[in-house]
Amino acid sequence: MTTPSPPPIPSGARATGRRIGSGVLMFWRVLRANPLTLAGFLVVALICITAVIVIVDPHLLTRYGPDQITTAYNQGPSWAHPSGTDGNGLDIYSETLYALPLDLAIAFAIAGAAMIGGGALGLVAGYWDRPGTVSGALSVVILRITDVFLAFPSLILALAIAVSLGRGVWQLIVAILLTWWPYYVRLVRGETLAVKHLPYVQAARAAGVTDGRIVLRHILRNVLEPVVVYFTLDIGTVLVTLSTIGFVGLGLAYPGQAEWGSMMSYYQGSGLITAYPWTVLGPGISIFVTVLAFSLLGDGLRDILDPRSRRVLAGTGSGSITAAAPPTPEVPVAANPGDLVAAPEVRPAG
Amino acid sequence: MSDPVVSIQGLSIDYVVGAGRFRAVSDVSLDVERGHVVGIVGETGCGKSTLAQAIPRLLPEPPATIGGGRILFEGTDLVQVPRWKMPAIRGTGINMIFQEPLNSLNPAFRIYDQVAEAVHIRQVRERKAGTVVRREPGPFDYSRRPDPTAKDAWSGKVVPGGAVPEAVHRRQVDQQAGGNRADIRREVLEYLRLVRINDPETILNLYPHELSGGMRQRIMIAMALSEKPSLLIADEPTSALDVTIQAQVLTLMKELIEEVNTSILFISHDLGVIAETADELGVMYAGKLVEFGPVGEVFESPRHPYTKALLRAAPTRYKSDGPLLSVGGNVPNLSHPPLGCRFHPRCSIARPVCRGEPAPPLAVVAGAASNHRSACHFAEEVPGIP
Repeated sequence: MTTPSPPPIPSGARATGRRIGSGVLMFWRVLRANPLTLAGFLVVALICITAVIVIVDPHLLTRYGPDQITTAYNQGPSWAHPSGTDGNGLDIYSETLYALPLDLAIAFAIAGAAMIGGGALGLVAGYWDRPGTVSGALSVVILRITDVFLAFPSLILALAIAVSLGRGVWQLIVAILLTWWPYYVRLVRGETLAVKHLPYVQAARAAGVTDGRIVLRHILRNVLEPVVVYFTLDIGTVLVTLSTIGFVGLGLAYPGQAEWGSMMSYYQGSGLITAYPWTVLGPGISIFVTVLAFSLLGDGLRDILDPRSRRVLAGTGSGSITAAAPPTPEVPVAANPGDLVAAPEVRPAG
Repeated sequence: MSDPVVSIQGLSIDYVVGAGRFRAVSDVSLDVERGHVVGIVGETGCGKSTLAQAIPRLLPEPPATIGGGRILFEGTDLVQVPRWKMPAIRGTGINMIFQEPLNSLNPAFRIYDQVAEAVHIRQVRERKAGTVVRREPGPFDYSRRPDPTAKDAWSGKVVPGGAVPEAVHRRQVDQQAGGNRADIRREVLEYLRLVRINDPETILNLYPHELSGGMRQRIMIAMALSEKPSLLIADEPTSALDVTIQAQVLTLMKELIEEVNTSILFISHDLGVIAETADELGVMYAGKLVEFGPVGEVFESPRHPYTKALLRAAPTRYKSDGPLLSVGGNVPNLSHPPLGCRFHPRCSIARPVCRGEPAPPLAVVAGAASNHRSACHFAEEVPGIP
């Protein structure tokens, strides 16, 4: 221990201790620095809290129970009925509210199952892809089946399966899920192929880490980032698909079981949309806001999940020994409006 | 004397690319003695990295295939070991430090997690092998004797006969007396200190991108050493670092070789680095080992024209007396290696026999030390080359 020692690390580095609080703090700092992500996060949080309230005690938010007939028919928005009522006397605001937990649950179930199932297949197909081995053959089988599903227009396939299975929540989930998983296989396989040849995976192999552990620990953690981002964005896409299936009349039976797509389908199909346009506004705006919120959050998550951009984004810079936060790039100005200007490389703000 | 950790015997490695077949390493035989540092030098593309990765079977197979030969590691032939059994040999048996220190740490995990994984792997294997018996504390540790100097917790006075300490919960025992997690943490810190990292407590919580290249390479060395491998393969561990850091890392490795009894196979294209660290030196050319001997011997009196040319081309002074010398000609294309001796097109003492007959196998050179071997028809004439 006689060699000259490197200079001590500034004590600011200690601020990045391994505490539970520090992660939450970091998350909050990143959110604060990215207004759009913050907006997405707040709206998603609001939506989730609302869904929980609807499940626990809906009367905090509405006077009416599910499918409760009011005495008002075809009324426009008012204080008593913020979203109006339909010809059956149903309060559309309440119906939209009751549909929220169901829509969210279906979206999460489909995207979640597709992510876990498709992701697992993608990991296998990406890591064990050596031709001429049993696992290599398995990978080929997985990929060809994936190709078959991807080659078929997914909405048409989902509609066909929904028709054959009949109405119902589980039928709907199965129908969409069957067309949904292949995208995750492709995504995860691609990422796995890119990651598995990186030096740190080789180094882990050299250190005697078993294949299973390399996949589940080293590769999965590095693949997770784009997958979680895709998942968050995907919630919105599933909701849209769900609504589309509902809209063409193959979703849940409304009135009876409120679901945004089915509601829109019902009001549009019964011709009420021209005379009483507010009937579709409630479910329509709900779909729009939910999808938008998840998209905004998903974009920002990309930055939060990457440890390299995390501290720079959060503007703490405390832990950096080698590099400080990059300076704000100056935007070059063109002399004439038509001139081309070299775009500065800016990290997407979220 | 002869107690090699790894004994490579007639190893050939092919790359099958399309219809072509490249013999990247052909018929290499090499012993790494226990506690020795063996250096391998050669030009880019001479097969030294392929050889290095082939020993722990880290080459992607295909495209690489082992065309023949044996890799005897502590008595087992690694060529015959099925692929799924290799992880058990890697790490604690054969470990490796790679060329790119900047990318060899997983960017998603903190330093602690990475070093701890290595320590954990070794501890598990030691426990399995029965070399270390882990003390399993009960739910409460009653084994602690009354401490005669302990003060009573309430009165603060020294109690005759010793105060009985409070019962200690299992988790506390784990933390204090070397339970698994505390054990790993202690060892991680120990190895980080071993590679001269100041303030390891702070480093533990950092991500790799927050460290400099030299620091990352030290972490890599700490990880490799913490598994206490019998053989450490260092594949150009310093070539991505700048000269000052390189010197630091080399000094460190030299010190560590003395502290930890590990054999090292040191791959490099830098003769200076090899001269500093190695005991024996092997010179590779076009997939073949052309000369092997004690490092001083080889440097003093090379017995192969290629080694001679290589040493002549190495810049030796800060201020050169003239233009840098180079070995004339080009590295041969391994899909069509030259017939006869592979070096003959660039050799200054080549004769018809070199073109017509393959180079002789490595053989002890007359007039040289007993373990200085060369693969040249005219090894005795090499010292005479200007």
